[in-house]
Amino acid sequence: MSARRNLILAAAAILLAAVLLAAWEHQVGQPPVKMIIPTLTNRPELCLTCHDGIEEISASHPVAAFGCTTCHGGDGMALDADLAHAGMHGGRNPADLAVVGVACGGANCHSGDPAAGRDHIQRVDRSIQATYAGAIAQVRHAFGAQPDLTAHMGVHAVQDDQVVSPDAVPSLTAFAPSATDPQPVQQFSVNCLNCHLWAQPAAKPYFYRSTGCATCHALYDNDGLYKGGDPTISHTEPGHASAHHLTTAVPYTQCDHCHNRGNYNLPHMAFVERTDLAPAPAAETEDATARRLAEYYQPIGQFTRCEWELDCVDCHTAREAMGDGDIYSSQADAQYIQCRTCHGTLTEPPKLAAITDPNDVALRQAQVNGHYILQVGDQVVVTDRGEKLGQVRWSGDHLVQTMKATGQTYSVPLVQGSACQQKPDEQASRYCHACHDHELQAP
Amino acid sequence: MAHKRPNFFYHLHPPTLPEREARFGYTFGLGGISLLLFLVLGVTGVLEMFIYVPTLTDAAESVRQITYLAPFGWLLRNMHYWAGQMMVGVVILHMARVVLSGGYKGRRFNWLIGMALLALTLLLDFTGYVLRWDQDTAWALVTGTNLVNTIPGIGPALYRVLVGGQAVGQATLLRFYAWHVIGLALVAAVFSGWHSFRVRRDGGISHAEPAGGPTPRAGREELVRTESIAALLTLAALVGLSIFVNAPLGPAANLTVPVAEARAPWFFLWVQELLRSAPAFLAGVLVPLAVFTLLSVLPYVLDRRETGIGEWFNRPGRLAQGLFLAIVIAVSALTARGLLR
Repeated sequence: MSARRNLILAAAAILLAAVLLAAWEHQVGQPPVKMIIPTLTNRPELCLTCHDGIEEISASHPVAAFGCTTCHGGDGMALDADLAHAGMHGGRNPADLAVVGVACGGANCHSGDPAAGRDHIQRVDRSIQATYAGAIAQVRHAFGAQPDLTAHMGVHAVQDDQVVSPDAVPSLTAFAPSATDPQPVQQFSVNCLNCHLWAQPAAKPYFYRSTGCATCHALYDNDGLYKGGDPTISHTEPGHASAHHLTTAVPYTQCDHCHNRGNYNLPHMAFVERTDLAPAPAAETEDATARRLAEYYQPIGQFTRCEWELDCVDCHTAREAMGDGDIYSSQADAQYIQCRTCHGTLTEPPKLAAITDPNDVALRQAQVNGHYILQVGDQVVVTDRGEKLGQVRWSGDHLVQTMKATGQTYSVPLVQGSACQQKPDEQASRYCHACHDHELQAP
Repeated sequence: MAHKRPNFFYHLHPPTLPEREARFGYTFGLGGISLLLFLVLGVTGVLEMFIYVPTLTDAAESVRQITYLAPFGWLLRNMHYWAGQMMVGVVILHMARVVLSGGYKGRRFNWLIGMALLALTLLLDFTGYVLRWDQDTAWALVTGTNLVNTIPGIGPALYRVLVGGQAVGQATLLRFYAWHVIGLALVAAVFSGWHSFRVRRDGGISHAEPAGGPTPRAGREELVRTESIAALLTLAALVGLSIFVNAPLGPAANLTVPVAEARAPWFFLWVQELLRSAPAFLAGVLVPLAVFTLLSVLPYVLDRRETGIGEWFNRPGRLAQGLFLAIVIAVSALTARGLLR
């Protein structure tokens, strides 16, 4: 009896020893914790323990200062994936417009003083890319749901308390077609509300993109694959930005994820995709120029040489793309850059303005972009609406344009003194396109 | 050779314990296991105190520091959590053993000390649950303390004393921390000692005096061996559970964002179930107090005969046993309903 009990005692002791050994093994087997204490929050974060190798989001948001949770939310001290990711702003994308105010906003961040140009979130929210008001107004007007072409509705209701432009409207209600609306308007609401900043993209090559601010500022490859160093992000599952990186050096390919992907078939209220694009990954191996032409070229379009060679953002300004704070009824009201902005006319050179204020938005834009240098005292092209194009600088005897995405420079030819025979009342870009047409030969 | 005085360890293992009742199969070591768990809770709790910060801004973060950053912190926290949960179960089983085998006969006062220890165990568990300071526990605290407000007359004053202000906040967390680590823990330690002392003073484990002849006694070696096996197995189960099942941890508490329904800790789920169908004061205060009072007076009112000591389901105690089991079944059923929600 006693011997048996001793045996049980010994077995119990061995069992406890084994369990303690297992606990030891468990501790030893834990991956080393990687902790940072961001200077802006002074609260430790352990996110990089798992996301070890992830790219710095941008030079303006160094992880050493911001950490991860400042923008992403979540639980930075948790190493359990579910707990760590609970309460994240917008899941993978804190720049989604539904959460961007919390994630990226703040007086010192991206919903700050309009005078200092720090009100990006408010402006984007009212911009035509976020409201889709132009398309909605056009379709409703075309099919008799509203008498005028003025926008009354957006994909979300928005309001502007300080209307500046005479073309702008003070508010939009949320577009929700009623059963009494004409059939095409209802069809439009089902088929066509998928290309604005709130909308989820189609999950296929060339279309992959993010939403909100990241739609433009987080670059996606055509194959939608992540190519960065975070071991937790799939490198084979499409639908990820190519890197965990925000940029204002946005190449044309990024704009192409929405624009230039096809055409609308209005009678059928359907989107017709381009069929002439190679499967995304194959195109990567081709010569960059040939690929660019193939990806950009559309048989119905007329393109000038700048449109072939520059990127969209080299001409179209931040305020065109992200809004100037007003709510417009159509893209035409928001988009105002013309050829003459940089090239001038026969009678006038392009308008120039000197950078005098060290806090000038143009200086900040140059610094954030990183591909061109701008200093106080420089003379740059200024638009009709007063935006300074820091990337188009007067060198002393000619205009030099620097590409925002690549840093490549061009000398900008002026109309004045050239052989151009434009008529003074035909200054819109479409008149320039008629002659300066670099359309490819039809195959 | 000088006479060697028996030391405290010898004192706790006197050579007078009856063999039958000292067997594991009679007590299941439940009282001893409770004490062991209480000691484990003390040791792991003190170690957690080296990191835990009872402030609104740092509580959740310091819990994460224990869980994810401190070496073996996860084991410490898991052991503290699971020992706390196991203790509630073991204490209740210990009570059941005493009721069903007439163990309180001839020593009814120690039953009252035991009831106090049950209350202390539950309060320690609840205050500990609160200190985790995640959304669930913080809002369970709000719900729980609001019950105090429903007490007529003294309710509001008692509430202010309890939460340290008009609403749950920094003062509440600090007060619950103080109650948990000192207020309740100290009283529980004293009562545990008193409870054990009473057992020793009342003649060791309760047992019937045999009709004739000397009672066979359990050897000290045998006692220690049994205790050691129970202790080793308990610790192995505790550490094993702590390796494989993590103590719960949810998103950090935010007192401005209520949760859909704050879930009470499992040992108070039965009260939460009652609250669904009865007024708060009745279900949340009166009924639990009535159950507690009923259990406390059980041996004094329903089982006053001194026969049947150490006898499972002894006849004189049938009424008390029946009532006890009825309460256990009712509370278990309500708890199960709460768990299944």
